[in-house]
Amino acid sequence: MTKGYLCLVLHSHLPFVRHPEHEDFLEEDWFYEAITETYIPLIWVFEKLVEDRVDFRITMSLTPTLLSMLCDSLLQERYLKHINKLIELAHREIERTTWQPHFQSLAIMYLNHFCRSRDTFEKYKRNLTLAFKNLQDSGKLEIITCAATHGYLPLMDVCRESVRAQLKVAVSHYESVFGRKPRGIWLPECGYQPGHDELLREVGIKYFFTDAHGVLHATPRPKYGVFAPVYCKSSGVACFARDLESSKQVWSSIEGYPGDYNYREFYRDIGFDLEYDYIKPYIHPDGVRINTGIKYFRITGETSEKQPYVPQWASDRAAEHAGNFMFNRQKQVEYLYDFIQKKPIIISPYDAELFGHWWYEGPRWLDFLIRKIVFDQDIIRLITPSEYLAENRRNQVIVPSMSSWGWKGYSEMWLQGANDWIYRHLHTASERMTELARSFPDTNGIVRRALNQALRELLLAQSSDWAFIMGTGTHTSYAVLRTKDHLLRFNRLYEDIKSNSIDEDWLSNIEYKDNIFADIDYRVHS
Amino acid sequence: MAVLRKIREKIRKMAQKKRGLKAAGIVSRRKPKSREVPILKEVKKEILGAQEMAIEKTKYSHPEIKKIPKVMPSELPAQYGKDEMVLQVRDPWWLHCYWEVSPGTWERLRQSLKELFFSAKKVLRVYDISQIIFNGKNAHRFFDIEINQETSSWYIDVGGSGRSWCIDYGLNLPNGEFITVLRSNVVTTPLDGPSWITDEEWMVPEEMFGRLYGMGFGLGQSSPVGKAWQERFKKALFSGILASPGITSAASPVKKRLKERKFWLVVDCELIVYGATEPEAQVTVQGKPIRLRQDGTFTLRYALPDGKQVIPVKAVSPDKIEERTITPTVTRETKSSEIVKEFIRDAT
Repeated sequence: MTKGYLCLVLHSHLPFVRHPEHEDFLEEDWFYEAITETYIPLIWVFEKLVEDRVDFRITMSLTPTLLSMLCDSLLQERYLKHINKLIELAHREIERTTWQPHFQSLAIMYLNHFCRSRDTFEKYKRNLTLAFKNLQDSGKLEIITCAATHGYLPLMDVCRESVRAQLKVAVSHYESVFGRKPRGIWLPECGYQPGHDELLREVGIKYFFTDAHGVLHATPRPKYGVFAPVYCKSSGVACFARDLESSKQVWSSIEGYPGDYNYREFYRDIGFDLEYDYIKPYIHPDGVRINTGIKYFRITGETSEKQPYVPQWASDRAAEHAGNFMFNRQKQVEYLYDFIQKKPIIISPYDAELFGHWWYEGPRWLDFLIRKIVFDQDIIRLITPSEYLAENRRNQVIVPSMSSWGWKGYSEMWLQGANDWIYRHLHTASERMTELARSFPDTNGIVRRALNQALRELLLAQSSDWAFIMGTGTHTSYAVLRTKDHLLRFNRLYEDIKSNSIDEDWLSNIEYKDNIFADIDYRVHS
Repeated sequence: MAVLRKIREKIRKMAQKKRGLKAAGIVSRRKPKSREVPILKEVKKEILGAQEMAIEKTKYSHPEIKKIPKVMPSELPAQYGKDEMVLQVRDPWWLHCYWEVSPGTWERLRQSLKELFFSAKKVLRVYDISQIIFNGKNAHRFFDIEINQETSSWYIDVGGSGRSWCIDYGLNLPNGEFITVLRSNVVTTPLDGPSWITDEEWMVPEEMFGRLYGMGFGLGQSSPVGKAWQERFKKALFSGILASPGITSAASPVKKRLKERKFWLVVDCELIVYGATEPEAQVTVQGKPIRLRQDGTFTLRYALPDGKQVIPVKAVSPDKIEERTITPTVTRETKSSEIVKEFIRDAT
């Protein structure tokens, strides 16, 4: 009999990176890589499960910036160019490794992967959101939303109009893509600030997630720890807390699965390994080496002498790890069922990019796991938060604690020496946006365009990705550039609107560059 | 590795513990070690509890290149010409504030205070106003932080969690009078442990909650109970060892490839086989047909492993009457050696 539930959550996010003014922009590669290495492989796994009539449940967040990029025709075209180049590279690799049969078989494996990717891409008319929409409509995948540009909401709390705008824009964008309203949300970085649940309720959201301590440190104490959701006081929005036990098994670098020696080594990419003149056409035009996605080695051990990757061993290991994960969840659920006298729900969220991109065998692991859970046992059941709430309406009411799932559990990642300087500017811009929105309750023509664009610039500046990158200390100049560009554009729009001197050419130019959220309405920020 | 991290974190916490006084910005990171090397990726610096972050970083995993400088209108303004003080929460124990005093306000103060203005000390006054409505005078307590640098932001160690705070930026006059120049918004820091408040309807015994608490943080069913558990878990959690959920970056694959020293050398070989014949000829290499360029030339590039490769290249004339075959044979053999020199120092 079912003794508990497992809720797997995949959070997919990329910041909005689109540079029409450059032929080949390095940071756009993040998007193309994610498509080939994560999103398409996950789509394959889910579609096959549906085809095989497996009754599974997965919850997935797709952020508005990511959805926008997937729907954007310029980026779609560039992706096609990108995958075609990879196919060409794979062909050359097959030839180059003629006297290295083991590597050649891997090159063939990559060629197949790339060709299949291109087929899938074309099958959905270059718009992968259709694939996700189909999966959601099949009832097996619940897609939740996220803040418009993944702004870190606790540090926006001094201007709640911005928090509200991030949520409203996200919800209306989600509706335009999926044809229905989102039921749940993945708060950026699980950044929860008490009071924000009210804003979630305003836009019709029924549940969100926090890290473990968001609920464990709540007031009053949660009777079931993280193993049951709670309702937020006064708003009644449900809050699900992460289970760190199951997270650790996948994330941890000591005990986590991805570190297994048979799995593919991320850092041995031919983009870096091969001779310069040969690989030059496939790396950045400036000659800077980048990841291509073709990697021939396995982790092997704590050594730099990496051995060739053996797909069969890796696949077998993925199956073992899936079995192990399921076994551990069963034990966990059985213990909890007796201990708390209730069927626990285990929330296991992961960054989607972990699967496929970082951990090449991740999607296979997921596939094995789902099939094992559905067919080989009946102690745990896969579930989505919506289903759980429909079946378990009575839950404790508490006030969750301010928290995040970022480094150290609160806001330090986004508020430290490297990035604290941005808030003065972001907050001022938020105040100004509110001022503008209220000054123009109704307007048309160029003023309306400028107001809408101002909100776009503000939202783009608010992406938590920039502060994150600045905080990590690597590749920071791009993040700083984006923050400054968007804020400077905003400031100029503010001044131009107030002084009634909007430069149409300049406006058209930035509308073309920062073209996210075509149907945005600046009044959501009033 | 975990021990090293614990020690480092302890030292860092000690440095930060200086009551209230912290220069703007916490330098909690070491400079990243980087190499200009084509093969190995830039070595990631160690960040506590960083596994998740390290993986997330690979989303942005390309090296930086020099961008063609864009025409930027200007830098962001240093000031916005307004009086404002904003307070934010960083975590249960630290606040961050930034402020701006408009030139008009400074002028007004200078005029009314005259000489006193220049001997007044600029101060942040931090008020604990938990559970009350603050009227400027009824704080539970407050403490002052002297700001003698030209700065407009500060990190404040409030020494405790779960309380509400408000900050004044003001002038401490020599006669003891304090003048408020700016007042911030109110913030409340979160608890750094479980709440002491329990719900009657949803009662949970202390011991049971202790176990659930430990389990929630992934410490398994064997989590100990009693008051001591709280302290232990709190310390462990917030010193970054258990921080969500990244554990240490001790093991692969995030860890850089280890050698005892950092010096390394990698060498590999490839073979280019090239030639020419009549454009319409049919050519095979080791039995496999290859394509010629329009001018009848061809180039093939192979990875060359150790061993012998026999490479018959056969061309057949367009009318199939004649054949030519040339067979280079190439052998690769690789030896490697290592020397680590030791220097004997003279005692001078």
